Amino acid sequence: MSRWLLHPRLTLLARLALGVTFILAALPKLADPPSLAKAIWGYQLVPALALNPMALVLPWLELLCGLALLAGAWVRAAALWVGTLLLAFVLGLALNLAQQRPIDCGCFGTAGPRTEAERLADMRWDLLRDLGLLLLVAQVLAATAQRKP
Amino acid sequence: MRLPWHSTTLRVLTLGAIALLAAVVANRVAAPSRRLAWRSALALGPAPASPPVVPEHRVQPLPQPSPPGSEPSPQNPKPLAPAKPAPTPVPEQAPTAPAPITEISSLAAWQAFQAGLPFLDARRSGEFTEGHLPGAWNTPVWEADLEDRLLDFKAQHRPAAGDAIVIYCSGGECRDSQLLAEKLLAQGYFHLLIYREGYPDWVARNHPVEKGGR
Repeated sequence: MSRWLLHPRLTLLARLALGVTFILAALPKLADPPSLAKAIWGYQLVPALALNPMALVLPWLELLCGLALLAGAWVRAAALWVGTLLLAFVLGLALNLAQQRPIDCGCFGTAGPRTEAERLADMRWDLLRDLGLLLLVAQVLAATAQRKP
Repeated sequence: MRLPWHSTTLRVLTLGAIALLAAVVANRVAAPSRRLAWRSALALGPAPASPPVVPEHRVQPLPQPSPPGSEPSPQNPKPLAPAKPAPTPVPEQAPTAPAPITEISSLAAWQAFQAGLPFLDARRSGEFTEGHLPGAWNTPVWEADLEDRLLDFKAQHRPAAGDAIVIYCSGGECRDSQLLAEKLLAQGYFHLLIYREGYPDWVARNHPVEKGGR
């Protein structure tokens, strides 16, 4: 990989961007887990038994990983979690988009009432955003894998 | 130096464990409206499709005195399933068994309100406090104390299995009424009317509203 792609400043920027994004995403969910459970149910991909536990634990995981990435502690572990979560979000959005089923992303709390077309358009943007964040995760993982003493 | 594989794995697991612990503690100390049962009390299948629409004339004669002993119970099974479609075309006037969960129009909801039928509001308690149908009971399907609220409602109204109960939420894509109706259906109630257009429609029609919690 090109040297500039693994430059420490780029890694720092990626960590900060991911950290801030995940902390901002976690806060509204922490404040209202029932809304998150409802949003996850909308994806129609999660078994009923896993729905509420996921809605309760996911925001804390996002917050912890966001803080770890910001602080520069346990960066690789946090990036692995964040990457896993983003992959799950991408999969959920893509599957629903493929079926033209408009859902609320639930990514940053609940959104206001929107038309089906607006929801589908938002889902496409959410998917693009998550793919961009996945690239940042890949950068952080690649950089931390080549860390020198 | 490369981080040892086991060290990263241990940290990944530790982050997960801390998140789980934090979730348990936070959920325990959360306000009832923000609390979530670890195991949902709802029958959460795929997002349900819309129930059949019931014409207005079916809503008019709903408030009937219930025969004694008609409380829902496992020993007293009720006809919960809708009638199977006939293989041949059925004339419009032919009597058919009513579906246990039916959708009613705005007009039918207004008639039901005037007839004094009980209304259940399936929206979140915060939304209910901001405004609801007068006399409606707040039974938010996504909050942990749903069961207690339903018990309160039943203790107050003592609805028989066949008594009509109107359920509404936020209209549009909202499926909370349907979830609540399915829960009540599982408990033996079989005359559940969903006011699909819900609270926004009620407000738009300038019908009376009430504010505050219950």
